[in-house]
Amino acid sequence: MMRLLYIETYKLFRQSRTYYAILALLFIEAIVLLSAYYQGTGIVDIVLANLKDTFYFQGNLINGNLIIYFILNSFWFHVPLLCMIIVSGMLTTEYQEKTLQTVLMQPVVKWKFLLAKYIVASLFTVLLVLLLAITSFVFSYGIFGKGDLVVYTNGLTFFEHDDAFYRLVYAFLFGTLSLVFFSVVSLTLAVMLKESFKTWIVAALFLIVSTLLLKIDLGNDVWNQLAFFKLNNTWQYFFNLNIDWKTITINSALLGLYTLMTMLVGLYLFQKKDIG
Amino acid sequence: MISCQHIHKKYDTIRALHDVSISCGKGEIHGLVGANGAGKTTLFKILLGLVTADSGTVEISGDGAKKIGGIIEKPALYHYLSAHENLRLFSKMQGANASKQAVEASLRQVGLPLDRTDPVRNFSMGMKQRLGIAVALLNNPSCLLLDEPFSGLDPLGIEALNQLIFNLAERNQMAILISSHIIDVLSTVCTNLSIIHDGEIVRTGATSAILAACTKGYTLCGGNIKNASFLTDYNAVTNENCTTISASATEISEIIFKLSQQQIGITSCKPVLDLQQLFNPKQK
Repeated sequence: MMRLLYIETYKLFRQSRTYYAILALLFIEAIVLLSAYYQGTGIVDIVLANLKDTFYFQGNLINGNLIIYFILNSFWFHVPLLCMIIVSGMLTTEYQEKTLQTVLMQPVVKWKFLLAKYIVASLFTVLLVLLLAITSFVFSYGIFGKGDLVVYTNGLTFFEHDDAFYRLVYAFLFGTLSLVFFSVVSLTLAVMLKESFKTWIVAALFLIVSTLLLKIDLGNDVWNQLAFFKLNNTWQYFFNLNIDWKTITINSALLGLYTLMTMLVGLYLFQKKDIG
Repeated sequence: MISCQHIHKKYDTIRALHDVSISCGKGEIHGLVGANGAGKTTLFKILLGLVTADSGTVEISGDGAKKIGGIIEKPALYHYLSAHENLRLFSKMQGANASKQAVEASLRQVGLPLDRTDPVRNFSMGMKQRLGIAVALLNNPSCLLLDEPFSGLDPLGIEALNQLIFNLAERNQMAILISSHIIDVLSTVCTNLSIIHDGEIVRTGATSAILAACTKGYTLCGGNIKNASFLTDYNAVTNENCTTISASATEISEIIFKLSQQQIGITSCKPVLDLQQLFNPKQK
């Protein structure tokens, strides 16, 4: 198994598309940073216009913490989409270029080969988030400095710098679970669909539908708790005034379970399917 | 040795293979001939374990981690890696020796240069075929399956690949099963042939016997061959130095003898096969 993990990692980092994905991620981040640098104050002024009539604000609200929060919001769509494209490509290109046939003509256990891909895909996703987190903290604090974080969830909430810092760190940490889930889903879709374009379209559709369903009330507390699409915004709970650790823990455990189940379905289908 | 018995395979309602049995012994080169869509690739995929047969048995003898190696259609390699890197990767994958010496020995075995460090996407088809064979030969399998290995190769490439296949069968005593629709090449390399048509093995036997049974004539080439008037009795079609005649395998020796008596030297004698009879004998 260790050999297969090494090989998958080696292949991943020998392909140019992996570096394109990393560059794309940094590009998204750069756009957020540049937009904030040139237009950030104006946007915050619009958001806080009414409050500024009533309250006196001290310090700069466009600060590193707010920018990191903006970048963190790319967890909704951009980063998962990028992860899904890269991760599904780990298998679809092997189907397309028929290297999968060559691999499976060697004495390699089929399900172990895919399991290695799942593990490497998950680790790669964690690496992407880590890169995004480190660069966003470094650049945001470096360019915009420290300060209190103001976020709008159900209403405006203010967090002092130290409090904001650890909430952002936790949000990155728990947001990773959601990204790993989407990566695992895309690899399972690749097992089912085999073709790159089909997999990308279905993966994007899955992501869009999941995001849309997030806002829909299923009319039942149990379903609202159990549905996978209700679990992908768990990281947002860190920006409630009081952190609901119980809900966060349950949601994360459920999402982990969904990830595992999706992986098992993929392994079963792959083991069962003919290659050719 | 590799053998399969009573293999059946259907894709939905389409019959891909029907009661196929074939075997190839140690040191034997066995050809599988059939038109496109006859079922050659499906059979090879089943033998290589990529596709599951609906029924039937496959038996591959040999010891070691890998009993069988092969190439299906085209050699599929990681095009962004060099030949060395591909071999190292596939060796590591199966726990074979991935040292520099072992990789170089593999490259030498198939006649590939050791100094090419560029990605295999730059390689010619012949070089890719050789590298594909090198990957198939990792971990010393006792059987080798090559599906259409000659397609896309130039005459020099075909000759070199033929030599490699001969060597593997003779020196390594490998059982080699080759599928192709290029009869000319198979007739020179294979000791036995099986003809597959519409998913069924319709004929199996020694290459010479099968080809003789399907030979409808010969093309004879040589200087002054158009002066041999008796060839008109054999429906001769002549152009410059070559004549195609309708004759059986027994008649051809007599004809060549007569030609030599008339001081007409023969430079080549190639059988003309009745492809319809070869690929689809049931229809005749």
